[in-house]
Amino acid sequence: MSVFIQLFFIGLMTLMSVSVHAREMQLDASVLLTAMDAGGNDNFKSGKGLALQYSYYLKKWLAADIGLFVSDQTFTDTRRDVVGDYRVSIQSKSILLGIKPRHRFAAPYEVYARLGMQYWQTELEVEEYFNDSVPGGKTSATDTGAGYYASLGGAHYISERVVVQLELRHMTQRDVFEGESDNPFDLRINALSFGFGYRF
Amino acid sequence: MKAAPASVTRLFKVAAAIFFIYTSAGCDVDSSNNIPPVPATGLVMYAEANLHESEETAQIAAAVYLDGAPVGLVGGDVFEARTTTQRVLLKDSGPYAGSYATPLVLDVVQDVFLNVVHEPIEARDDRWYPVDLLNIDPGPGELVGKTATVSFPPEVTITGPVSGNVYRSINDIVDLSWTAIGAGDAMRVLSFVSCSDGLSNSSYGTVVEIADDDGQEAIPLNRFIFDANEGSTEIRFISDAAQALLQELLDQLSAGNIDPDFVARKIEANPISSDCEIRLFLQRQRKGVFDASFDDGLVIGSRSAEVTVNYLVVVPFDLN
Repeated sequence: MSVFIQLFFIGLMTLMSVSVHAREMQLDASVLLTAMDAGGNDNFKSGKGLALQYSYYLKKWLAADIGLFVSDQTFTDTRRDVVGDYRVSIQSKSILLGIKPRHRFAAPYEVYARLGMQYWQTELEVEEYFNDSVPGGKTSATDTGAGYYASLGGAHYISERVVVQLELRHMTQRDVFEGESDNPFDLRINALSFGFGYRF
Repeated sequence: MKAAPASVTRLFKVAAAIFFIYTSAGCDVDSSNNIPPVPATGLVMYAEANLHESEETAQIAAAVYLDGAPVGLVGGDVFEARTTTQRVLLKDSGPYAGSYATPLVLDVVQDVFLNVVHEPIEARDDRWYPVDLLNIDPGPGELVGKTATVSFPPEVTITGPVSGNVYRSINDIVDLSWTAIGAGDAMRVLSFVSCSDGLSNSSYGTVVEIADDDGQEAIPLNRFIFDANEGSTEIRFISDAAQALLQELLDQLSAGNIDPDFVARKIEANPISSDCEIRLFLQRQRKGVFDASFDDGLVIGSRSAEVTVNYLVVVPFDLN
């Protein structure tokens, strides 16, 4: 298990241990359909991801939100230029820390939002192929940094403890590879997620 | 609405007839051998730079051919065009298969030096990701270090025909005249022709080589305007029949809700029966020099000027 994921679970366990007397908590697990945009002519294909989030309700309408987001390796189209054929992929993980305001209607429905900071770790991989006599290959680099996330969702209570959720998410990672390259970029990840929440 | 069985059968017959006619009359066009007139054997350098009248940007193209096949520059090997003040890499696709091209600003008309260089980062700088951090560099290839030099001839000044001159028959003569220099440079005329018959359009280009830089050349208009159906009445019949059948099929499928000229609009206009704008580019060419390590080469610097004339179809006068 990577240090990154260990860090998330340490934070999660710490929050849970100090909140044993809390009135309400919620654990959400979602699958995401992602659209990445790194600017320029990147042309990323759509990708998949997973999000695990824990909410500790400070008030009836407001929770502290901590989460983990992991994206699948997401590829661009293969392109050709004067150098050769190339394809780029991105895989990203983020620890999310923020707030989650909500409004619960009389009917078994709820709308909510999330807003917060993220600490991300992103790996960029490039595959290049030239021709039969000049070999190509793969190379990759990893960077970490901070950014923000925001989302808007709706939930339906299928029981007193279990909800299904549909959520639109946006995450921005600023200045990826700044300090290592003269061409850093901002990575924006938009996602539609579907998941379940369990209240306890 | 459900078509009656007889109508369906007829539609299939029409479709089958169209398929048969198009497949039996069709021709395969192979564009893979679009290469400049270079020798078919050995390692050959091709480079061309043209400076059009009143412009300060020359269009540069270059390629290397081995036994008639283009040699791709990959892995960061790339043509560099350099003058005393400017430098660019040829990263766009050129007019010929395997050729590379770029515009180059010329403050003053001067020689252009073409070199094959290895620039693994600069060659990739149109990509969106950090190419200075992530690139696979196979090192310089065998062509790196090879060079050619392009020299431009004196500028071209066209003195006739006047712009907008009208011709009405392909047997007319275009009396092209220009200010002669007589420095042993080659001359040629490139044409870009755009035609419209009122329903459809066509456009194409032709090349006419001129023997001497003597200031005048009489060129028949049929070097620029031609009859697409000439010499093949059978093909014309098949083409017309196919058009009619296809139009009928579309008319039936759309229950009459289709433009009666839909197919005609999709067919390219035949130049001889169309009104055409003919842009004539008179080009003066001067041979350049190439690296002695090449077996042969075609290195040309050229300057060009342009005049536009028109070909208008004679409309028969209806006495009735």
